Amino acid sequence: MNVAALPPALEGLRILDLTQVAAGPYATLLLALMGAEVIKLESCSRMDINRGNAVPRPGDPRVYPDGEPGERPWNRTAHHVHRNINKLGVTLDLGTERGKELFLELTRISDVLVENYRASVMERLGLGYETVSSVNPQLVYAKISSQGATGPERNYGSLGSTLEQTAGLASVTGYEGGRPLMSNETFPDPVVGILAVGAVVAGLRRRNQQGRGCFVDLSQREATINLMGEAYLDYSGNGVVAGPMGNRNLEAAPQGVYPCQSEDMWVAISVRTEGEWQGLCRTLGRPDLAQDARFASTETRLRNHNELDRIIAEWTGERSHYEAMHELQANGVAAGAVLKGSEIIEDPHLDARGFWDAVEHPEAGRYKQTTTPWRLSKSARLPSAPAPDLGEHNGYVLGELLGLSEHELGELERAGIIGTVPTR
Amino acid sequence: MEHVQGVLSDVRVLDLSQGVSGPFCAKLLGGMGAEVIKVEPPGAGDVSRSMGPFLASGDGQRESAFFLYLNTGKKGVALDLESPLGQAAVRRLAHDCDVLVESFPPGEAKRLGLDYALLESVNPGLVYTSITPFGQWGPYAEYKGSDLVAQAVGALMCTIGMPDREPLKIGGETALYTTGMSAFSATMIALYARDISGEGQQVDVSDMETISVAQIHSSIHFQFGRTPARRESNLVAAKDGWVSPGLETGAPEGTWPRVCELMGTPELAEDERFATPEARRENQQELREVVGRWAAGLPKEEIYHTLQGMRTITGYVATVADLVNSRQMKDREFFQSIGFPGLPDALYPGHPVRIDGEIQAQSRAPMLGEHNREILGQRLGYGREQVEEMTRQNGKQC
Repeated sequence: MNVAALPPALEGLRILDLTQVAAGPYATLLLALMGAEVIKLESCSRMDINRGNAVPRPGDPRVYPDGEPGERPWNRTAHHVHRNINKLGVTLDLGTERGKELFLELTRISDVLVENYRASVMERLGLGYETVSSVNPQLVYAKISSQGATGPERNYGSLGSTLEQTAGLASVTGYEGGRPLMSNETFPDPVVGILAVGAVVAGLRRRNQQGRGCFVDLSQREATINLMGEAYLDYSGNGVVAGPMGNRNLEAAPQGVYPCQSEDMWVAISVRTEGEWQGLCRTLGRPDLAQDARFASTETRLRNHNELDRIIAEWTGERSHYEAMHELQANGVAAGAVLKGSEIIEDPHLDARGFWDAVEHPEAGRYKQTTTPWRLSKSARLPSAPAPDLGEHNGYVLGELLGLSEHELGELERAGIIGTVPTR
Repeated sequence: MEHVQGVLSDVRVLDLSQGVSGPFCAKLLGGMGAEVIKVEPPGAGDVSRSMGPFLASGDGQRESAFFLYLNTGKKGVALDLESPLGQAAVRRLAHDCDVLVESFPPGEAKRLGLDYALLESVNPGLVYTSITPFGQWGPYAEYKGSDLVAQAVGALMCTIGMPDREPLKIGGETALYTTGMSAFSATMIALYARDISGEGQQVDVSDMETISVAQIHSSIHFQFGRTPARRESNLVAAKDGWVSPGLETGAPEGTWPRVCELMGTPELAEDERFATPEARRENQQELREVVGRWAAGLPKEEIYHTLQGMRTITGYVATVADLVNSRQMKDREFFQSIGFPGLPDALYPGHPVRIDGEIQAQSRAPMLGEHNREILGQRLGYGREQVEEMTRQNGKQC
């Protein structure tokens, strides 16, 4: 449990965050929870697309609390509220000369710049790595792009849903013999966000070692390819092209999800070892199965998997997914309830570990926020604070940090360079 | 040969973990220049050594693709952690290390005299990274896990698959790899804190919390009043596979008429079913049919490059074979050819983080106990008989 004898690990670091959508914002969210000050930079003409449209259009896919866009829809979409906690919200139009100047001033007082644009966007704005590092040679510039900073596809765009495809995950996701299916969770986005935290800290360590900043190049596609490394060895060594296997696994049998007592309620079971197999037979009250030659080894169980599935489903069908999970685990079998969004926020284990933070968002109301996938025994984690409204911290960041006067801020607002209301 | 010092070239990692997540974490650290000493039980070694698929030689030798991939660049030591001598050797190694990675069930490290509280007293700067299915404490702490179980309890798979069928996991061991990435990032944070304060700490990383963070829609959408559900994918069949054309909301203004031209159906540019992004989303079933008629005659990668060239966010379902041959991957020298004694070379994905454009070369995974003499003999100064005793288990020498 947390002793928190140390301050937050990244306290005192300032991160200038130009990222949007998911992978980048997820990375900076995690960095913020570990203590970094994150300045989220948007503009009134180009908000983070997580904020949706200024005026939702018919058929708009954005999710608002109870379906109500409210007066300022851009401050209360689910994506924005969930992905931008603990950040300072600043607007700045980088298409203007004054906007660019102020941006460079911000890079001068920051330790890290994170962006997830296509490779050439910052160059086109005249704000590429060479420019910003000449302004602040100590700056760690982290680029979390789709394809990496180089290569013929460096200017290709992607979303988590297309990365699943172009990095190979979709080719192994699906029912056996069926067509490829998608995670519907844009899975590579959070994965890359989690990994990018380590990449940024590596850049900081390099800066401390060599006394000057560096360029961190993280290709989302390459990071996602790493999730199935063994398949590339199998292909290059054996010519095997991996395909979908449903929920099965060549090293575990039985393995699958089984229907429980209510509609769309399932429990996942994986049996990898002889001990787990014995435990499963005990749980089912079927010692005879443990003696049955058809099920004597992983190999034979794989061959007779369908028969085994039928037997297991009879047992799980009389229970809830949690009951099945606890009974199986009590007998040493790896099992887990297939939890839904509605259930995971109430799960007793995550609750006991303090995984969820209750957040009161001024524009979106009260909800439970995911926090970090790790906990450090001494370095404190910050409590979750609500995602910022558009331009909410212009005064603090441009006024207090950069020293602009009230008058100058007013001028910028009149010129449309900063603001709190989207212009389109 | 040009040698670039990695970011972690001053860091030594003791890897006591087995399976996928822990070894992947240590591999990622090693890929940034850390020296990684991997300790395995004598006899069978890391459990992943017996996980298929395998690479085989003509004469019956076989090595696990998982093990080879997850342990590149490490030094291999075989030590019997059940013996007092083996435990003492690990404590001495931990004394000289910056990071320890372990994946024992909670409580097991304590039984072996290798828990954080004990090692902290001999090495206060040690970062001790513990990786388990459910974390070091809490109601499910003792529970067992797997990739499938992680995707279940993390509310990831509830939305994958068809509505009328069972929930489906993402293939492979992707959830466990993700936990490894999570442990890598957490370890980097703890190292950064140690660089400043001099103090190490224990890092607690679990599959369940990692995947609970990776479900980025289910919990928040439910709370905002929309229940996420399983659904068919939006893929369209090309001549040799699948693409997602990305013509719904992902295409910039003015692109749709050009795509209609390209598809040989310029009249569709005026069709109000598809005139705006919202209309195309509304009528995506019909859109898929229209685009599908064009896509069916073309290779998936041609569609991908053509439409990306028009600045749409297009995807294609790449197989491992496609990726190995991808010009982008080749240009970035992403896959690296690595050998192993007795086996032909194989292609390995490279490290996912590049700093200042450096491509870190990876070296192969160790044979079981390959570096016993170097680490236990030369570095720790044990005599030959002691080394033999501590690396033996059930009378089997490795």
